[in-house]
This record gives sequence, structure tokens and C-alpha cells, in this order.
Amino acid sequence: MSDVPAGPEAGAAEIASLLERIQAGDRDAYMTIIRLYQKKVFVMAYSILRDREDALDAVQETFLRLYQKAGMYRAGSSFQGWLLQMAKNISIDHYRKHRKKRREWETTKPLDEIPVAAEPARDGDSAASDLRAAFARSVETLAERQRMVFVMRHYNELQFHEISEAMKISIGTAKSLHFKAVQNLRKRLAPVLGIEP
Amino acid sequence: MDDDSMKDPARRAEAEALERLLKETEAVRTEIRRAAASVDWEALPGLIADRAMAEDIRAAIKGPAPRPLAWLAWFRMKPALAGLAAGLVVGAAAMYLALRAPDGRAGRDDGYYASGEFLDRAELEMARRNTVDYLEKSQYVLLDVFESAGDGPGAAAALRSERARDLLQKKKYLNAQLERFQMAKAKAICDQIEMLFLELAQIDSELPAAELGRIRGFVEERQLLLKINLVKKELQSGV
Repeated sequence: MSDVPAGPEAGAAEIASLLERIQAGDRDAYMTIIRLYQKKVFVMAYSILRDREDALDAVQETFLRLYQKAGMYRAGSSFQGWLLQMAKNISIDHYRKHRKKRREWETTKPLDEIPVAAEPARDGDSAASDLRAAFARSVETLAERQRMVFVMRHYNELQFHEISEAMKISIGTAKSLHFKAVQNLRKRLAPVLGIEP
Repeated sequence: MDDDSMKDPARRAEAEALERLLKETEAVRTEIRRAAASVDWEALPGLIADRAMAEDIRAAIKGPAPRPLAWLAWFRMKPALAGLAAGLVVGAAAMYLALRAPDGRAGRDDGYYASGEFLDRAELEMARRNTVDYLEKSQYVLLDVFESAGDGPGAAAALRSERARDLLQKKKYLNAQLERFQMAKAKAICDQIEMLFLELAQIDSELPAAELGRIRGFVEERQLLLKINLVKKELQSGV
């Protein structure tokens, strides 16, 4: 995400040294790693959860897990990929757990207590608003791996090699999943886009 | 897309449709930017580090999780060692039966074992102390708002706003503890204070008199300072 200010990239040697110090309980090293990657992890979590508080919880959970598993990082592999993979798994777990709760909550709450998520569309905006809502729904219904690749590519603006590291798949598979995701979105949104399915 | 293919209306429509589709991702990116802009990135690392260290200490007190019969895996590939161990066990049992004294039971050394009940009590105590600390700091900020009376320097307002933001972060951490230990009364008062701090955190410049009057009215109407004192006393006496 170009406009979300991210911390400067750290070199492999610097990361290895920081992780070593974290294992020894060094608070400063731990905070340095958090400062470097917190925004990237937030973007990943938010892309999946689409809720600020949930995303912040996932960020905390990711770095807590990093604190416990700092020794499990294999030098030579991409640290960012490893961390984002952790963030992705935590966010997906969080999403699955809370989706069920949210549905229950929404069906048991009185109507006037359910927050209105979007403002009503103004006259000129209705077509754009329809497309937006349909787009959000369609991304949600993509197969999980397709959705993840699409989200990482377009919301997190990751390169295919970064996606392949974070998802532990080959670059070719990442590209193929992305292609399928776009095709499926196109197919599902054909009526709103005004094209042949 | 080359010029020839763009002359075909169907292909052009298709290309335009895909362009519109991918434009929708920009709306999500804007939403992410907006959400990220409201996060206090300076304070977050400290909060996470505090939590990690606290959990680390808790895990150290509890000790490693017991792994029942994990030692059996070591013998799986070594039948000779397994036989030797079985012999030792049988021999030791026979010695014990032959030589045991009627009341010769030695005490067990449990190392760092702490019961679940003890840990729960320790966590409850921590939650109480954290809440008292939060209430005390909130009280100072509220008193500061009252004493400033609208004519203090702008820097004081900025500092107050920063302290309010800091306390908002603390409250987020405190919520889990208040809910876990069902400290309903403390939670209610902390929630009311949080509402005030949400407003104070937005104001970096000196408060206008009308705004100050409104906040003072809110505090007085709900007898917030008095309630803070009462809840603090209750928590300190361990009620």
C-alpha cells in the first residue's frame, strides 16, 4: 500500500540479529521489529477483516506469536513473507470465528441497534454504489486461495514473488490463482458491469 | 491491448469492464489508508511488548506444559533400552516392596508449580491494580481540564490530549481484564471516562469555554470524580 507509510526495509542480517535478541528477551529489539512491520501486518489483517479493531487485534496477535516463535524463523527465507503468512493465518482464523458471531449478533439484535454500515447512495452514485457492494460481496465469495491472492495483489499491493512467499506456493500458482480470481469476479459481476457473462 | 483489438466493440467493452472492476480495489485501498491513519503507531509497539512480556512471565510461572508419556517415544526405536528400562522398573518395584518402611514416604519437590487458582488470583490482583492505576491517571487528566479554565497555554492542551490518547490505549488493554473478572462497576465508570477521553484526544488546542462547560457538566452530572474515588477505594480494599 503505497500511501500507508511503512517502516524501512531491514536487511536479512539485521533481522537475524534482532530475532536472536528477541529470543533473549530484549524488549528494544522486539519493539524495533514491530515498528518495522506493524503497518504491513495491519494492511494484511485489515484487507481480510475489513474492521479496524479486529485488524488491530490481529496485529497484536501476530507479534505476540512472533515473540513466542522467533526461534523458528529459518535464516535465508523471506522474513516478511514468513511474518505476513502468520498474519494471514491469524486473520483468517479471526474472520472465521467472528463471522459466525457477527451473524448471530445481527440476527438477535433489534433492528434499530444494528449499525448502518454504508450511507444511502445519492442519486448519481447509485450505479457506482451497486457495483461497489456487488464487488465486495463477490470478493468474499471467491475460493479462499483465490481471494487471498487477489487481496494481497490489489489491497496489499504485493508482488507475485512476495505473495508466493507468504502463501508458500510457486509464483506460477500465484499468477494462475490471480487470473482465476479476476475471471470469476468478472463472471459474477457481468450483470452489473453490463457485459456478457 | 493493441489498437486492432480495441476496435472490436465487444473487446473494448470487456476491457472497460475489467478496468472498472479493478478500480473498485482503489476504494478498498482508500478505506485501508483511512483506517491506518487513525492508529497510534508510536504507542502500539510498547503496548504489544508489555503484553508479550506479561504473558512470558505468566508462562514462566506456570512452567512447561506436561507431556504425558512423551518419554515413550524415545524408546520406540530402541528396543534394547526399552528392555533395560522395563528391567529397572520391575527391579525397583521389587526392591520397594521388599524394603519399604511402613511410613517412609518422601515429600515431592514440585519446582515452580503454581495452582490454577493461585494464578487466577494473581491475575485478578493485577487487573485490580491496573484499573486503580487507570482511574488515578484519568482523575489527574480530568482535574487538569477543570483547573485549566480555558486560559492556559496551547502546549498544555496538546499534552492533555496526548495523555488522553495514551489512556485510551490503556483502556483497550484493560477491557479484556474488566470483562474477564466481571468488574462491572469499574467497567461502567471506565467506559464513561473513555467517552470523555475520545473527545479530549481530538482537541490539540486550548478548549473553548463552551466546550469546557459541556465537559464539566458531563463530569458533574454523572458525579464522575466522586464515583472514581469510590470505585478506587473498593478496588484497593479488595471488595
